[in-house]
Amino acid sequence: MNQPSEKSLKRMRTYVQKYWEKTGTSPHPDKEVTEAVVMGLAANIDEVGRPLCPCNFYPDKKAELERSREWVCACDEMKQWKYCHCLLFVAPDGSPITEHLPEDHEGRQIYGLVKDPTPDKGREARFKVEGESDE
Amino acid sequence: MAENIAQVSDDSFDSDVLKSPVPVLIDFWAPWCGPCRAIAPIVEELAGEYTGKLKIVKMNVDDNPRTPARYGVRGIPNLILFKNGEVQQQIVGAVPKAHLVKAIATVV
Repeated sequence: MNQPSEKSLKRMRTYVQKYWEKTGTSPHPDKEVTEAVVMGLAANIDEVGRPLCPCNFYPDKKAELERSREWVCACDEMKQWKYCHCLLFVAPDGSPITEHLPEDHEGRQIYGLVKDPTPDKGREARFKVEGESDE
Repeated sequence: MAENIAQVSDDSFDSDVLKSPVPVLIDFWAPWCGPCRAIAPIVEELAGEYTGKLKIVKMNVDDNPRTPARYGVRGIPNLILFKNGEVQQQIVGAVPKAHLVKAIATVV
């Protein structure tokens, strides 16, 4: 993977900072984790034009974007359930928030129940989750 | 990253993993995957603790797309335990060490 451009890096750093504030989430305590993800997102902007999540494997990134915006940051899981498996938007201790996930979701299986410290923020697409209403 | 653990490739996967005489834990990772970095020290520790009983290897999915596609890898880090060439368990995410130890106990 090539080093991302300064322009894309700046765009992602600004976006991530604002999204922490908007959703009441925190950066991971290990700054290298955050930096790696931001670099990967920026590199994907340069490569395919969108900040595709760098914590997934895609056999074909362009085909993935034609299929769906599901894994464009902020991904559908983050917007619906406030769950970031990439550990970019997390609870203060670095754990991904799993409180809003369905119980059979792999995030709940792996991390257990991690409460949302700011339940009044984020989840802008919660209305898309079956059985929940957009209050 | 992963200095002490052998990296395997699409070309070496069959001989390094499927035909291994001991069980294998393969860690599918990518350079700019944050949780891959978070779990790397745990995988390194395990490699030291299970020497001779379990082979632990890594595969960079950016450089080796055939194998992750073959095993349905999506979220990474993605750790798959093989025994006698067969998948025994597949674990996704930066799981706690205890979670991996429990999984490894089923194959060693």
